Amino acid sequence: MLSIKNLQARIGEKEILKGINLEIKAGEVHAIMGPNGSGKSTLASVLAGREDYEVTGGSVDFLGKDLLDLAPEERAAEGLFLAFQYPVEIPGVSTTNFMKSAVNEIRKYRGEEALDAVQFLKMFKEKMSYVNIDQSLLSRALNEGFSGGEKKRNEIFQMAVLEPKLAILDETDSGLDIDALRIVAEGVNKLKSPDNATIVVTHYQRLLDYIVPDFVHVLYKGKIVKSGGKELALELEERGYDWIISALGE
Amino acid sequence: MLYTELSSATQKEALERFKAKGFPTNKWEEWKYASLKSWNEKDLDWTPASLHESSTASLQTQNGNTTFQGSLPAGVEFISFDAFLASNPALAAKWEQRRPILDQNSLYDLNTALVANTQVLWVKAGVSVVQAITHDFIVSASKASAIQSRLIVFLEADATLTLIERAFTKEGSAEVLSNFVQEIYVSEKANLTYVKEQDLAANTSHIDHTFITQLSDSQVDLFTFSLNAEYLRNNLHFYSDGEHVVSNLNGLYVPGENQLMDSHTVVDHRKPNSESNELYKGVLMGNATGVFNGKIFVRPDAQKTNAFQSCKNVLASTRATMNTKPQLEIWADDVKCSHGTTTGQLNEEALFYLRSRGISLANARTLLLLAFVQEVIDRVTHEETKLRLTDKIISKIQTSLAI
Repeated sequence: MLSIKNLQARIGEKEILKGINLEIKAGEVHAIMGPNGSGKSTLASVLAGREDYEVTGGSVDFLGKDLLDLAPEERAAEGLFLAFQYPVEIPGVSTTNFMKSAVNEIRKYRGEEALDAVQFLKMFKEKMSYVNIDQSLLSRALNEGFSGGEKKRNEIFQMAVLEPKLAILDETDSGLDIDALRIVAEGVNKLKSPDNATIVVTHYQRLLDYIVPDFVHVLYKGKIVKSGGKELALELEERGYDWIISALGE
Repeated sequence: MLYTELSSATQKEALERFKAKGFPTNKWEEWKYASLKSWNEKDLDWTPASLHESSTASLQTQNGNTTFQGSLPAGVEFISFDAFLASNPALAAKWEQRRPILDQNSLYDLNTALVANTQVLWVKAGVSVVQAITHDFIVSASKASAIQSRLIVFLEADATLTLIERAFTKEGSAEVLSNFVQEIYVSEKANLTYVKEQDLAANTSHIDHTFITQLSDSQVDLFTFSLNAEYLRNNLHFYSDGEHVVSNLNGLYVPGENQLMDSHTVVDHRKPNSESNELYKGVLMGNATGVFNGKIFVRPDAQKTNAFQSCKNVLASTRATMNTKPQLEIWADDVKCSHGTTTGQLNEEALFYLRSRGISLANARTLLLLAFVQEVIDRVTHEETKLRLTDKIISKIQTSLAI
């Protein structure tokens, strides 16, 4: 589904990604872990198409397309979704209205017919139950005055509506208490299928108790320095990152 | 250049004053960004308004003539200014006490000099006009002209009125400088809602002078929606001359390619315990120029005044310019006044967020700009007008961004 080869990116003069290689197949959950400043969020941003970063080398193939050649909205239409670490507050735009625009633009891109108001209502109702989110929250200005938990539930609600092929969760656990974490994780698990894949970017192991990964990768100084199964996350929780770093001879 | 049969000494004097000064140029401090210099050199048709024919509508201004067609609501009169003054000496005396602020305003003199048919829309004491009165302000000329129009709106005590003004240019009209003066008198406990929709052609320059005098316990909600014109200048002056007066000034301007829109507002608080709220927003596209100059005076007697002013602008193009200048002059010591002006660009992070959900860059920009202007539109309570304005603003923004 996703094939990243020797991906390099920088912001300004600063090299952040220094040759990432990663293969993701449908049905898999990959966790990307690593100490602060290792490039985890940069990787998520570059995949979603944030223009602050300049890709200086490598390639990314997503379902047979050159992902780096696509605008952010085209990536979304092709089935990529980024759950933001810090969802943006947008005064004057409600989640429902903005999701209607998003869904119909994506359907148009795919040559599908637009949904009407009744179809939206039915679909939204179903997806709202995934993350236990309230209609009144969705009618309010997007993320404005939302609590940390509400913002992240709203992200997963949007993910449920857009049904991406590949979802990237960027530090979705940050700022969440344990109850909110559980609700968000349950939502993600309900959306899992053999046809889609998930990348979970996280600093801590605790989210992985709820979203169990098939693979765990450790990112350090812009490179994946170690990969393993879910037991690697537990080991990191216990021993920290130092043993991996010293094994690199640094 | 100026040819006309002037009927009164007042008109002759006003014309002399105008000729001495001419149209404002960029050398005039108050007109610095909104110069009308080129109009000093044009060969204009100065035919007095009374010689033009007028057509019909409920309240319609065309070529300086304002007429009221159809049946007037009960308790409303539409009569000439002279007849109004003659009919009621007490009201005439009150009228003489109004104080429009006229410094650096040669155009007011030009209007006084050349305007012919000054009519008064007069709402009698205690009368609440249920249906909004529409005022079609039509700009039309067969050759380049400066057209003078004037309307007086007089609300007696306890009267209530909603006015919806739609200024537009008739198709095929020649180049016009439209100079429109409005003097509005809002008596004790009277209530006026006034929506101005300025949607004029690319060869029209429109100058709107709206002077409002308010007495105790009155409220005015005024909206200026500036959609299109080559040049739009709004001089909006509130003379708050009573206690517990509420003056709400709302403005939205969306200039695009080759358009200039200038809002000069003055709120003059003369008496204690009154409030004014000013909310102006602008979206500047293409190579548009915008100006906001907001003056608030709080006179020594106007203790316990609450005066708030906010002007926020988005530059939706790198070629657009916005000039803002808030001016507060406060002589009273027990008042609450605040002002804030911002001019910025669309939030890049918000744009990326919307795009990451599949919304195209153009639509994401439109969505954010509409969200930005919605606050002003939402304050309009007249539903039909609100819907029409929303449609027009969406289409203006989409068209301008597509260029």
